[in-house]
Amino acid sequence: MSKKVLVVDDDADVRLFSVTVLEENGYTPLEAEDGESGLKMIKAEKPDLIILDVLMPRQSGVRLYRELKTAKALKDVKVIILSGIAKKTFLRSQKALTEFGGAQIPEPEIYLEKPVEPDELADVIKKVLG
Amino acid sequence: MEKLLLIDDEPDILRVLSMSLKADGYDVVSAPNGTEGIVAFEKEKPDIVITDIKMPGMDGIEVLKKIKDLNVDTEVIIITGHGDIENAIEALKHGASDFINKPVRDEALSIALRRAREKFDIRQQLKEYTTDLERKVDEATREVRRRSNFQINLIRSSNDGIVATDKNLKIVIYNPIARQIFGYTPAETINKMQAGDLFPAELAADLQAALRGENNIKNLAWRETTIASKDGDNIPVRFSGTILQESERPVGTVAFFQDLREIKRLEKELLKSERLAAIGQTVAGLAHGIKNILHGLKGGSYLVDIGINKNESDKLKKGWDMIKRNIGRTSNLVMDLLSYSKEREPEFEACLPNQIADDVCTLVHDQARENNVKLVKDFDDSIGEVLMDPNSVHEVLLNLMSNAVDACLFDEDTSKNFRVVLKTIHEKDNIIQFEISDNGLGMDKAVAKKLFTSFFSTKGHRGTGLGLMVTRKLIEEHKGTINVNSKPGKGTTFIVRMPYKLSET
Repeated sequence: MSKKVLVVDDDADVRLFSVTVLEENGYTPLEAEDGESGLKMIKAEKPDLIILDVLMPRQSGVRLYRELKTAKALKDVKVIILSGIAKKTFLRSQKALTEFGGAQIPEPEIYLEKPVEPDELADVIKKVLG
Repeated sequence: MEKLLLIDDEPDILRVLSMSLKADGYDVVSAPNGTEGIVAFEKEKPDIVITDIKMPGMDGIEVLKKIKDLNVDTEVIIITGHGDIENAIEALKHGASDFINKPVRDEALSIALRRAREKFDIRQQLKEYTTDLERKVDEATREVRRRSNFQINLIRSSNDGIVATDKNLKIVIYNPIARQIFGYTPAETINKMQAGDLFPAELAADLQAALRGENNIKNLAWRETTIASKDGDNIPVRFSGTILQESERPVGTVAFFQDLREIKRLEKELLKSERLAAIGQTVAGLAHGIKNILHGLKGGSYLVDIGINKNESDKLKKGWDMIKRNIGRTSNLVMDLLSYSKEREPEFEACLPNQIADDVCTLVHDQARENNVKLVKDFDDSIGEVLMDPNSVHEVLLNLMSNAVDACLFDEDTSKNFRVVLKTIHEKDNIIQFEISDNGLGMDKAVAKKLFTSFFSTKGHRGTGLGLMVTRKLIEEHKGTINVNSKPGKGTTFIVRMPYKLSET
């Protein structure tokens, strides 16, 4: 059975782009349009990989990533961040949340800044999923 | 008992008079000649002295002079021989208070003594009164000096430059801050310069007019102006002035100056740093927006490629739509950026604000209906034709109205009857208030705070984050204000106040 990959992004165009790359490369894509519904779907579908945007309404990628990595059952789910936000901005906000009293969490496996080439995205997905 | 000194070289007279005076109740001290009389005087300090004029050794005139030297207040009664007018006059010249003729009659003596006593008492009273008066004058002088010093200190240590003139506008007070502002020394100004030499012509003219009582103006309200300093620098100041009056008559003027250089410098710096911060945010926000658009375009081309290569028209169409959407986003971003970066003066022309508001409602009508949002118009009929920039008003209202519809659209509580109200109110002082309220999503304080300042969007990919920045800029260029009240879950109200000019017709 092909591996399940969840795309969480509020931008339908970005989802369509990622979903198409996934389909073309033989994965089973799932979609969520914000952090909240993304988390529900992660719990329900147990995807192998999550492609996560950062800036979204109703729970941002910063928060969702933190919840994933601090939940026992979910912390091993692999995550690719795909965002228009620079990596250092994302890491800075994670650091701020850690200092604010949150747990220390690992950096994401892969951080991609938009825009990405479809080939690059496909390669990274293959690499992460082994 | 009252003390008096009696001096006579004839022992009989001395004894008889002493007895007589003692019988009248006086405490009599007697002396047989002038020299002993003076010794007794110094010892006993009587208020009244009676002395014979003709005495061997020190005569009566000498005694009189000596006693007056010792205590000028002493009353000296001279006993003269009958018809000795010359000596009597001499005695009066030297301050004798009275004289009686020999032989001394009791009646004459007691009259002379009573008069002497009265004179003495009056003189004492006068003296006390004078001393008291002098003390009071002294106290008053000290008080006046203290107050005057206090006022001088007050003027000297004031943070305002103070320049006072007399009624001919000649400068009479010029404090240290005034010196800092104008650059002239007090020696160059006080009693040397006229208000017109130091102040801008219009200020001097206003003070002159106020001195003359024109238009009954006594105070010139604070205003900003520029003065020329000694070095020829133009210095921004705040100025106010007042006319000094005494018994309703003008006696001079006072002008107060506040140095605005530091404030102006800080204002400029603040503006600059704000602009730099805005540019920084703009670039960061812009980069984010452009990255997303590029990503969308890459995604679109990817789908089109697949569609062409595999001959899948579905992918082709989806990819093409994606490209078109992202071209649209590019154009929105560029248009917003353009209107934000463009400095522009409002172009005032006759227009009907209610008509503009109505047009905007028509424009967002479809968007509202698609999302089940009811539009309510509440226009103030007293607003007629005014001079405003109709394009600014239109863009401001359109931005805020479509935001309001969006706020309903984003609200997940679908049980609400969504409603967007556009209200116009004719305020006094030539101001039109536009009130745009919705009962949608609302915002917390953190979001409301960032609204106008940053490249901030809650709409995810739908917003450029520039809309409200543009809106605020348009309103401020129009010398208006915008305020927001919002409660999460309850809705948001934007209040825009824009002034209009009166139509010239």
